[in-house]
Amino acid sequence: MSLVVDVLSGAVRGGTSVMYGALGETVSEKAGVVNLGTEGCMLVGALAGFATASATGNPWLGVLIAAVGGGALAGIHAILVISRGANQFASGLTLLFFALGLTSLYGADYVGKEIHALNPIAIPGLSDIPFLGPILFHQDALTYLSYLTAPALWWIMASTRPGLLLRTAGERAEVLTVHGYRIATTRYAAVITGGALAGIGGAHLSIAYAQSWFENMIVGRGFIAVALVIFASWQPLRVMVGAYLFGAALALSPALQARGIGINQFALDVLPFLVTLLVLAFLGKRTLLSAPAELRRVFDNTAT
Amino acid sequence: MTATAEAPPTDPPTTPEPETGGSRLAGLGEVVLRWAGAIAGAIIIFAAILISKGTDPISVFTDTWSATLLNSYSVQQILIKAAPFALAALAVVVPSRAGLVNVGGEGQVIVGAIAAAGLDLAFGASLPGGLMLLVMLLGGVLAGAAWAGIAAVMRLTVSVNEAVSTLLLNYVALDLLLALIYQPWKDPLGSGQPASRPVEDAAKLPVFSGTSVHLGLLLVVAAAVAVWAVFRYTAWGYQLQAVGGNPEAARRAGLPVTRLLLTAMLVGGALAGLGGAIHLTGVEYQLRPGFASQVGYLGFLASWLARHKPGAVLLAATVLAALAVAGDSLQLDSGLPAATANILTGLILIAVLGWTGTRKKASSR
Repeated sequence: MSLVVDVLSGAVRGGTSVMYGALGETVSEKAGVVNLGTEGCMLVGALAGFATASATGNPWLGVLIAAVGGGALAGIHAILVISRGANQFASGLTLLFFALGLTSLYGADYVGKEIHALNPIAIPGLSDIPFLGPILFHQDALTYLSYLTAPALWWIMASTRPGLLLRTAGERAEVLTVHGYRIATTRYAAVITGGALAGIGGAHLSIAYAQSWFENMIVGRGFIAVALVIFASWQPLRVMVGAYLFGAALALSPALQARGIGINQFALDVLPFLVTLLVLAFLGKRTLLSAPAELRRVFDNTAT
Repeated sequence: MTATAEAPPTDPPTTPEPETGGSRLAGLGEVVLRWAGAIAGAIIIFAAILISKGTDPISVFTDTWSATLLNSYSVQQILIKAAPFALAALAVVVPSRAGLVNVGGEGQVIVGAIAAAGLDLAFGASLPGGLMLLVMLLGGVLAGAAWAGIAAVMRLTVSVNEAVSTLLLNYVALDLLLALIYQPWKDPLGSGQPASRPVEDAAKLPVFSGTSVHLGLLLVVAAAVAVWAVFRYTAWGYQLQAVGGNPEAARRAGLPVTRLLLTAMLVGGALAGLGGAIHLTGVEYQLRPGFASQVGYLGFLASWLARHKPGAVLLAATVLAALAVAGDSLQLDSGLPAATANILTGLILIAVLGWTGTRKKASSR
């Protein structure tokens, strides 16, 4: 395989879990709630999915339980920030530590175990397309599902009633009350759905990508997901692009090393973060303007 | 304000404030009761989780209690661990008074340590020990301030939110640390995981005799007192809180809002950077992967636990440090993963964030 194909197929593989996490964060933030605990939701999803797949031999059941687990953890965040008025950043970080503890306690038995994993499946016909075939159509099933999830989410948010309610909760929450909806209910739904998506992202990591469980296996992808949402101006399709950019930076250094080109891996690892910072600096105020209004209130308590 | 911006109208009615005639004592009693209830709830849920794993919670609690708090080695470990937590927490406290959210303690601690280690590598042999130590601590302070300064400048010039940029900068700092110790700064004499050369003996923080507790602890307490005094007595502290209270009003009153926000962030970063330098020169002596890992995030939570009060920060940091040390004894005595203690940390914070604040407290932040 050529270097470019190598890196890009790695980008899709490595970017998928982050994409699910970032799509989940998008849903949550569109309704006006930041969840820094996305990292925790992904951890819980990774373990819940792996454990279920290990116990039942069914990776898809694992994915389902991962979504339930991620959603449940996000539910705690929802209770704290929506019903109890807790600070969103503090609550999110708290959940990260809670999840770190829970998953290392319950995950100890699963370290080193093997499961019936989701392996790459070449799609007949499509995978033979030169260049694009090996990049896009020689992946695992959860990755294929992610090709549909991002556009579906975009469509739901842009064109359906639940999507409209979600956006209203994030833009002008009081309008919901006027029309007889409960703001809290809408936000709960958004935060829990977001957590469930993050849980699926975690499951992609444990069931398809690494095909194993180890303590703290998300190593920052959840935080990257949070950053990606801003990078993508809260648009699911841009989240997709951002996730692949991140995946490409991850895939570049092993691909170069395999060709005997020595490079400090960490100099490459830092690229997604630097790029995001530069993009944010370049977009500047425009990023802020595209943020949901209720979210701006969370972030900018001292608008300058 | 961050906390109240999200408090939605559906917030269930919290216990009303004492009537105007109510004594302060009754209010205090209620606060104590809320905290006791919250922490008891957290411990009960933690016990239930332990039972679900087939572990006897009573024996875990008693073993951990005696191994952690009745053992002088562990108590020393708690104090040592609490030092960077407290400074990372103060790094959240100062900007928060101006309404800024510093999630970047993690990175600021790391660059503080990197700067200190780098200065030692460059000049360690050529300067007398005491002076070298001073230079290293100062280097840590400046590096931490500079790191937070990046976020502050991005906020003030191109409107990039500081919570986001500080979070991203954490990863940049971590990758910088790893890149340095895997290649240029790697100790050729070291074995096992890559690490930088240990700092010169003369440049290590002195310890209280007979213990492993370093004198940096005094600096930590001094920093907390200084932060308290600055907000209590100085114009800068007063103006900062005015900006945090109502930036628009502060601007109209002619306060230099931009300069205040910038300096708040710089001071925050400086405190975290000092934490990194102290942790390097007082405890770890060399940079390694996982150096000061999660110190910044735990500091952030300590600040919230303490409701951004400098004195209470010292207590909160000590409690979180005790929980971390308890994790180590959990592993040794009960065979549970050390990270299990994070469950209790998480539960306590959930309880405190959700169930100890009264409306008045929430709105006075």
